[in-house]
Amino acid sequence: MIRQLRSEIAKVTTTTTLIGMLAALAGLVALAIVVHTYALPVDRVATRTGQRELLTEVGVGLGGLFAALIGALSITTEFRTGTIRPTLLAAPRRSKVIVAKALTAFFTGAVAVLVSTGTASLTAAVSLRVRDLTSMSTTGDYVDLLAGGAVGGGLLGVLGLAVGAIIRAQVPTFVVLFTWLLFIENVLVELPHAHRFAPGALAQGLAAQDREGIIQTVWLSAVLLAVYACAAVVVSVAATNRRDVV
Amino acid sequence: MTTAPVVEVSGLTKTYGGVRAVDELSFTLDAGQIIGFLGPNGAGKSTTLRLLLGLASPTSGSALVLGRSYAELAEPARRVGAVLEHADFHPNRSGRAHLRVLALASAIDGARVEEVLELVELTAAADRKVGSYSLGMAQRLGLAAALLGDPTLLVLDEPINGLDPAGVHWLRAFLRRFADQGGAALVSSHVLAEVEQSVDRALVINGGRLLGDFSITEISRAGQSLEQAYLALTGAVAS
Repeated sequence: MIRQLRSEIAKVTTTTTLIGMLAALAGLVALAIVVHTYALPVDRVATRTGQRELLTEVGVGLGGLFAALIGALSITTEFRTGTIRPTLLAAPRRSKVIVAKALTAFFTGAVAVLVSTGTASLTAAVSLRVRDLTSMSTTGDYVDLLAGGAVGGGLLGVLGLAVGAIIRAQVPTFVVLFTWLLFIENVLVELPHAHRFAPGALAQGLAAQDREGIIQTVWLSAVLLAVYACAAVVVSVAATNRRDVV
Repeated sequence: MTTAPVVEVSGLTKTYGGVRAVDELSFTLDAGQIIGFLGPNGAGKSTTLRLLLGLASPTSGSALVLGRSYAELAEPARRVGAVLEHADFHPNRSGRAHLRVLALASAIDGARVEEVLELVELTAAADRKVGSYSLGMAQRLGLAAALLGDPTLLVLDEPINGLDPAGVHWLRAFLRRFADQGGAALVSSHVLAEVEQSVDRALVINGGRLLGDFSITEISRAGQSLEQAYLALTGAVAS
């Protein structure tokens, strides 16, 4: 397992895909924060609750989406380029490959959300100051946002990997992830009792997001999201074991 | 004392949606032998190779390497080297990094990466992205990957596609040396003239079925070329 993990980490670090994705994420987050801090009314962005909600929505929301996409890329790219064949020739026990990829996706997903929440925090601090507003977030808020967000991002990365392993084709996988995280979860906001159990909402719960439709207990969010991620990995291992690689 | 075959394919069958891509195929490959695996497009060659390498599961029958299924081999990269598609690379990864990724998965020393790069004469281009490689360079990188674990068996699907004459000459000499040292190779190809010069035995398949299994020496003795023997077999099926 260790050698497969080292190989998977080498795959991530020997192309510019991850750096490119993280740079795009940081740019998008900075833009979103600037737009929101200027567009939203003062009473929404001047309070600690409002600022915290904004940082979590943008930082963990966009970061979580990118975490899932990066996780999905780690396997769909292998199918797209054909590198899945040499990968499985070197490690024919496919469960080992998927688990190593899941651990790597957890790491890259956590990094994505750290980049995202870090960029959101820094941009918000500057942007609020320019608007003559004070950043009200406490050290504890930032710890919740960064640490909780990173764990949530890691688990969303694992979910993205699992979806990619099940679907295999890159574009359909991206369509599924975008549709779920950007559309369905936003529709579910109108049904808070259902929304709170959605993966993206659980990731925000892990970052201690405090609003309706989010589970307020961090550990419960962590456990539920971890259960989803583990279940998805089990299904993806079964699907990978059953199907031929052409 | 008899030695177990390096490859033992027995009653191998693979069905896709009711179509038999491989149909009750049986053959063996012994140490020190190079087998040419021949057949028209869609004959079932690539499917057979994928079944042998555990990338696909047989509908029935078995394909064993050194007495085990590929998935059951300990340290498979040190037993089998394979080139299935010349484009099995990430275009944005360098040739050296591609080999390093595979070496890490099989706990193969980094020094071996440099050795195989030298062997296939890719050292100078090793840090270039694979997307900028010519077809021949990509083919040689695939060969380097197959040789990383210093395997006993080589499985090569159309290995001379894209190779220049010097590369073809190098591969022919390399395969002969490899077999003389006890290795075994299964080489799928359409280039019959080249196969005739490189292999000891030829297996001809079509429609997933084995049509012929003969030694190159036998064909020569009969005053035939491999091409004539091949066309006689596959032509008989076509008619």
